[in-house]
Amino acid sequence: MNRYLYDGTADGLLSAMAWILEEEPDPEQVALAERKDTLFEDGFFIGTDATQAEALFFRLRKQAPDAAHTLYSFMLAEKEGMESSLLHFLSLAFIHGDKINGHLTHPAVRDIVGVAKKAGRELHRMKGLLRFEKLQEGAYLAKMEPDHNIIHPLAYHFSRRLRAQHWFLYDVRRRTAARWNQGTLQFGTIEQFTAPALSDDEKRVQALWQAFFKTIAIPDRKNPRLQKSNMPMKYWKYLTEKQDD
Amino acid sequence: MQKSGCSNRSARSRLFSILIFRHSNSLVGALFGSLFLRYISPMDTLAKLQILSGAARYDASCSSSGSKHEGSACGIGNTSSSGICHSWSDDGRCISLLKILLSNDCRYDCAYCVNRSSNAVERASFSAREVVDLTLDFYRRNYIEGLFLSSAVMVSPDHTMERMVRVAETLRTEEQFGGYIHMKIIPGSSSELVRKAGLYADRISVNIELPSQASLQRLAPQKHKDAILAPMAMIGREIASSLVERKANHHAPRFAPAGQSTQMIIGASPENDFQILRLSQGLYKKMNLKRVYYSAYVPVSNDSRLPVLAAPPLLREHRLYQADWLLRFYGFSAEEILSDDVPNLDESFDPKSAWALRHPEFFPVEINRADYGTLLRVPGIGVVSAKRIISARRFSAITPEGIKKIGVVMKRAKYFITCSGRSFEKSDRPAALLRQQLLLGESSDPALPTQLVLPGIFS
Repeated sequence: MNRYLYDGTADGLLSAMAWILEEEPDPEQVALAERKDTLFEDGFFIGTDATQAEALFFRLRKQAPDAAHTLYSFMLAEKEGMESSLLHFLSLAFIHGDKINGHLTHPAVRDIVGVAKKAGRELHRMKGLLRFEKLQEGAYLAKMEPDHNIIHPLAYHFSRRLRAQHWFLYDVRRRTAARWNQGTLQFGTIEQFTAPALSDDEKRVQALWQAFFKTIAIPDRKNPRLQKSNMPMKYWKYLTEKQDD
Repeated sequence: MQKSGCSNRSARSRLFSILIFRHSNSLVGALFGSLFLRYISPMDTLAKLQILSGAARYDASCSSSGSKHEGSACGIGNTSSSGICHSWSDDGRCISLLKILLSNDCRYDCAYCVNRSSNAVERASFSAREVVDLTLDFYRRNYIEGLFLSSAVMVSPDHTMERMVRVAETLRTEEQFGGYIHMKIIPGSSSELVRKAGLYADRISVNIELPSQASLQRLAPQKHKDAILAPMAMIGREIASSLVERKANHHAPRFAPAGQSTQMIIGASPENDFQILRLSQGLYKKMNLKRVYYSAYVPVSNDSRLPVLAAPPLLREHRLYQADWLLRFYGFSAEEILSDDVPNLDESFDPKSAWALRHPEFFPVEINRADYGTLLRVPGIGVVSAKRIISARRFSAITPEGIKKIGVVMKRAKYFITCSGRSFEKSDRPAALLRQQLLLGESSDPALPTQLVLPGIFS
């Protein structure tokens, strides 16, 4: 079994896979891992080539759009140690096309599709759970700490929804941010974050929402277990309605 | 550039609405009425919101799915076909819409309702502007997917409906709001207003309230079956004709693109589950409804016409939802699920398991050969796992290990399937024993008896 290594970046992963899919007769018998530069590491290192990486993704999107979507969601998860599974999944996707997502009895397909589904689920969840606060200058700011690196697709979602607003998304853990202003979407990193002042009526609107949240529940049907299973407590930190608990 | 274009348009539409007000006496009166109310009323928005969301919480529907459109370039909001939950309240239900009544000041005296005129609760009414501002303030902060607007009957059905329509109209035309709007139709309001509501809202619904005319007469004497069914039928026709028109012309107006739904109260009147399911089946087939919601009766009154319940019949509600899913997605008919001899759903089994126990001749089902419709009849196999089985077996026969990994609930399914001829459990088990074992399997899940789930609204 041949072993290959790459530099740990997303581009590096994609270009390594492009190389292997091109050169290896049976990619399912190949292992791929991130180079850690340890003493006993063995394997052949494949250098990063951004054009190769991009070409692979576009080729996949043409031949198997659903599988390309799975690959995209998988990359959002920033999962380590699953490179070989991903390689096997891709090699199968180029053979079988979009049908491959249904080959759930295959271990590599199941692992990759499973991780991608989880990332997709959190993205969908955050579309609902993200909370904006209005700032003094009229812009809106939303902070979050998602498990997956979903700021790009999330910002795209809000660029279509809150079109006329000036807003920021801030991933506190990854220190990345997105900004939408007058039809342009930008991404960047934030070195030092100082909490900006809120607009004068922000607290009033938040109090309205908190009151609504309380009264909309039917007291005879209280069910905190179900509430927590639908809305895990890890998301409560930034939820306006959970601030006074 | 884009920005100035936006403000121009909204200024123009505001001017336009002022012109309308000039020409319509009743509207001028209404406008002054709401201004007047705002100045003399000591009640602020917060207090009103508490009263009017508290009064709306017994409406089961909070779905925001079924409609997909991008809003206008300058406006705010869009809708997505899957719907989005924005929070979950303390009773575990999804919050996706700002669910409120325009007013709880009701002229009717329906026995089962908190807002009945004889009940001594605090009354409040929103002005159209208050509802519009609340919706926009909440939407801009991503608290909600849109608005769910219902109301008690003030003065008359038309009077109420006209006010509700004005809220939706302001949101859509003046504020260019592209988010989700669900509007209740007040039975007895004119078809012109119903039509207008359908043009502004994504979903409209007429509550059927109780499962029979007799119960309606007894508990809600001011409501009539005909006044409920007539707008339903009309809405169904309008939705169908709008779909046809939009096929020919993409710019033809949408009419309630997310369809219509209804709600009935369970346990406040003596109808059995078979009657209820047959009613739902008729509504799905004849009126083309998207959803029927069932709401377990929560005692809100000591009225002698109502049953005395220790707690709302949540398990019954849950079983009805399961049976409803069988009607809509699993190819079952009401007559297969229940009969005149067995008119109520079994509380200890889900309705599909109960059907399977009555039909041993149908089983075992061979996982590697059965078609989709047959797979769906197996307890423990749902829509998702049936589809997964079909796509997985294109590659290779599914093994007993594989079937577990696909996500089939083996706890129930193992008694009813074979995998390439091999069975998981002895198939010649006597029915009574099978019942018992299924029951044991069920009871290992302590959440079931009390859980409240509206399964799959957002699936």
